[in-house]
Amino acid sequence: MKNESRVIGRRVSRIDATEKVTGSFKYPSDLTMPGLLHAVVLRSPHGHAEIEEIESSAAESLEGVIKVFTAKDVSQELFGEIVKDTPIFAREKVRYYGEPVACVLADSEDVARNAIKKIKVKYKTLPEVFDPSEAMKEEAPLIHDNYPGNIAVEKKAERGDVEKAFAECAVIEKDTFTLPYVHQVPLEPNGCIAFVDERGQLNLYTPNQSPAWLRSRLAELFNLDLFQVRVIQIQGGGGFGGKCPLTIEQICVALALDIKRPVRLVNNREEDFYATWGRVPMKIELELGADKSGKLLAKRSRVIADNGAYSNIAPGVLSTALTRIDSLYRLKNVENIGWLVYTNKIPTGMFRGFGNPQITFTVETLIDRLAARLNIDPGEMRKRNAPCAGDVSVHGWNLKSCGLTECIAICMEESNWNWKGPGKMEKGKKVYRGQGLACCIHVAGNRGVYPSFDGSAAEVRIGPDGGVKVLSGEGEIGCGANTTFAQIAAEILGVEMERIQVPEVDSCYSPFGLGAYASRVTAIGGNAVKNAAENALEQLKEEAACLMGLNKEEIIYEEGRFKSGDKTLTFEEVCREGCYSKGGTTIVGKGTYIPQDVTIADKETLYGNISPSYSFGAQLVDLEIDVETGKVKILDFLAVQDLGRVLNPLGAEGQLEGGVIMGIGYALSEELVLGEKGEVINPRYRDYKIPLAIDSPQVRVKFVETNDPVGPFGAKSVGEPALVPTAPAIANAIFNAVGIKVNSLPITPEKMKMELQKKIRELEEKE
Amino acid sequence: MQIKLSINGQKKNVEINPGDTLLKAIRRLGLTGTKEGCGEGECGACTVLLDGLPINSCLYLAFNAQGKDILTIEGLKGKNGLHPVQKAFVEEGAIQCGYCTPGMVLISKALIDRNPHPTEEEIRNSLSGNLCRCTGYVKIVNAVKRVAEGGKRNEK
Ligand code: FES
Ligand code: FES
Repeated sequence: MKNESRVIGRRVSRIDATEKVTGSFKYPSDLTMPGLLHAVVLRSPHGHAEIEEIESSAAESLEGVIKVFTAKDVSQELFGEIVKDTPIFAREKVRYYGEPVACVLADSEDVARNAIKKIKVKYKTLPEVFDPSEAMKEEAPLIHDNYPGNIAVEKKAERGDVEKAFAECAVIEKDTFTLPYVHQVPLEPNGCIAFVDERGQLNLYTPNQSPAWLRSRLAELFNLDLFQVRVIQIQGGGGFGGKCPLTIEQICVALALDIKRPVRLVNNREEDFYATWGRVPMKIELELGADKSGKLLAKRSRVIADNGAYSNIAPGVLSTALTRIDSLYRLKNVENIGWLVYTNKIPTGMFRGFGNPQITFTVETLIDRLAARLNIDPGEMRKRNAPCAGDVSVHGWNLKSCGLTECIAICMEESNWNWKGPGKMEKGKKVYRGQGLACCIHVAGNRGVYPSFDGSAAEVRIGPDGGVKVLSGEGEIGCGANTTFAQIAAEILGVEMERIQVPEVDSCYSPFGLGAYASRVTAIGGNAVKNAAENALEQLKEEAACLMGLNKEEIIYEEGRFKSGDKTLTFEEVCREGCYSKGGTTIVGKGTYIPQDVTIADKETLYGNISPSYSFGAQLVDLEIDVETGKVKILDFLAVQDLGRVLNPLGAEGQLEGGVIMGIGYALSEELVLGEKGEVINPRYRDYKIPLAIDSPQVRVKFVETNDPVGPFGAKSVGEPALVPTAPAIANAIFNAVGIKVNSLPITPEKMKMELQKKIRELEEKE
Repeated sequence: MQIKLSINGQKKNVEINPGDTLLKAIRRLGLTGTKEGCGEGECGACTVLLDGLPINSCLYLAFNAQGKDILTIEGLKGKNGLHPVQKAFVEEGAIQCGYCTPGMVLISKALIDRNPHPTEEEIRNSLSGNLCRCTGYVKIVNAVKRVAEGGKRNEK
């Protein structure tokens, strides 16, 4: 297409980069306002206990304390996305260590922090259960009276004839995998400010990833009219899914509604581990079979997912774990059953990749074991099973574009791929090298989260000054969405980036958009922006025609100029004259995008084409294992992604690089360790180990551009899939290096050392 | 109590409590570019330069910073625009959420001042007290390399 690459596809710096690099950018925790009060939450010191009495007078009498809130002072409604089971403050009992029990509102944060220590709560402890498999047993303590067996949700996704298909397999591999509780740990802990204005409108400043969804949840919880709730998104310091669910906003709002003064609630680092809910830990029993050519024939999975004490978004995460991977290859026979189980632990929620990293880890590692038994190169084996554009997958996913085969091929070509089966250990050898490959599929906007609508709307407003404002409800959480939107508008309107502003999401003026989850923003929000910009351009052409006394059809727009014959008007002239000739009005280009042929997956069967497009990726790692220390060192890492079309290489590379390093953390070092009562043993960066610069490789990134027919300029998603194949690629490289079958994460040096020693003993016993 | 601090070349009187950290004092002055990621000396988001040397301002007592030159991110940009490190961060795409950025920029500046041509390992080493959860460090390392190479070119 003509002109298409003027801005799109260029290495464009973020539109907020200068503000951020000079320290002038204001994050949620930087905000303040006159009369601001500070809230600090008192959290439960028990995993499971009845609350007998709360004595708060000592705290309340402290100077500077305004009020102490407990369950009786706030809305009695329960909240939760699919299962409503969560109170704002614990009522009769607490169900996890860290559950909000009370909250102090004071003049300063220091006073409030001091005051929570003075609240006396009498508890009667109850038996706790932490392991989901134990929690499912009949004798287990019941966490919610109305959920027998502690099962919040049970789901199935079955297709084809699994029994028959397994009977036809030449090889079958089976294992049980344990995937840990990992946390997003964004650099800025979550925080928000709420106040009620004189007209009774609730205002909330928040980094929440989904302002519109948040707004409707708050209106429901507090029984307010939607129009009475104003949500203003302030870009926060990292989200990764953790800032999507309702976790602290409801507390801040409850206080503000009561006290009628602005309330600030900002977690400290330790609190953030309790108040921002991490990845759903899973125990997955997986069985996978192939024929002798390596064609995958059948898959059976049993997923026990740890909900924690309350159901947040985990039911959706379970559905993802039960289905998503099945469309990565041309599988026809699958039988997946999963249970989401209550335990006395911190609730779990959404984290980049949703349930995909968990299930992908299991399938992608078993494929390498199958390949080893069949003596087929695992890269070749994956290519043999890869789908093509035009395929409809086993769960009804309509793959309109698919570059998986190319992704795998590039990985193999660009990495000295030299796979010779699982490694064997030798006596006396101290260092082993291995290569591993793994793939993924991900959505670009998953239908079914917001009950009534999953589309997006945008406005491109152009004033007499020639400035362009792009309004979208999707918001920015740090991934660069606003820069992408500005690029799209600049491309369509043929203007320079500097002319474009993307104001923050404010429900007061922003059109509808669901926000940053399910990798939907570029694909869905971007299409809406594109349509809005096109609509604005049409209106400008009309204005130009009018000014020239011609018909719109006679106008050509090129490089910022409206032309017809020898008549020319510049972009500025048309904006100015066009707007002023109509009383100074603003030209408003409107655009919406509603994904076509996309449905909410069937509640019972989980069947349905849930996303307008699907992106694919392959990652290859070259690593070294030190036998003495058990340390895994990444020597080279290549990530190849079919994201449809690269809109901005700087942004797309950054997403992949950051995702891979986060995936390396998931694979090698990260785990939230819980103590006897469910308390977090390692709620700080020193002990919860995310990768440091010194541990991280200079990740190489490549793209496959399949130009998706649906996405804006052909783009699909990249943010979430970036970390999905990372951990299994590493596990496969370990298998390739030393023949060890990894079935739990993280692969810490201690764990690795134990496994290595076990192998060495086996070796010695054989002699 | 009141103390005198010299921040970004300006003398300021600051009201503090005796135990207040430098981070708190700086932010109270409205200089919120210095971030708090942990308050425990483990993330580097609060990095400032004291007499040219990087410190975690969340661990440093404001009282002890008297008589020293404090450089925060707000003071780095010169009359002629962005500092070369800032410029490189913008152009290399080393910024995503940006919450680590002020600390990363200052620690990189301190490195370049000390060692104008660091190797990749030296860069990674000196960035290792500063966490970034978004970028995977690749573009941050590239930005510092770019400054180092620019330095080389200037010498010729
Ligand atoms: S806030 Fe100072 S090191 Fe984290
Ligand atoms: S850019 Fe977000 S933490 Fe570094």
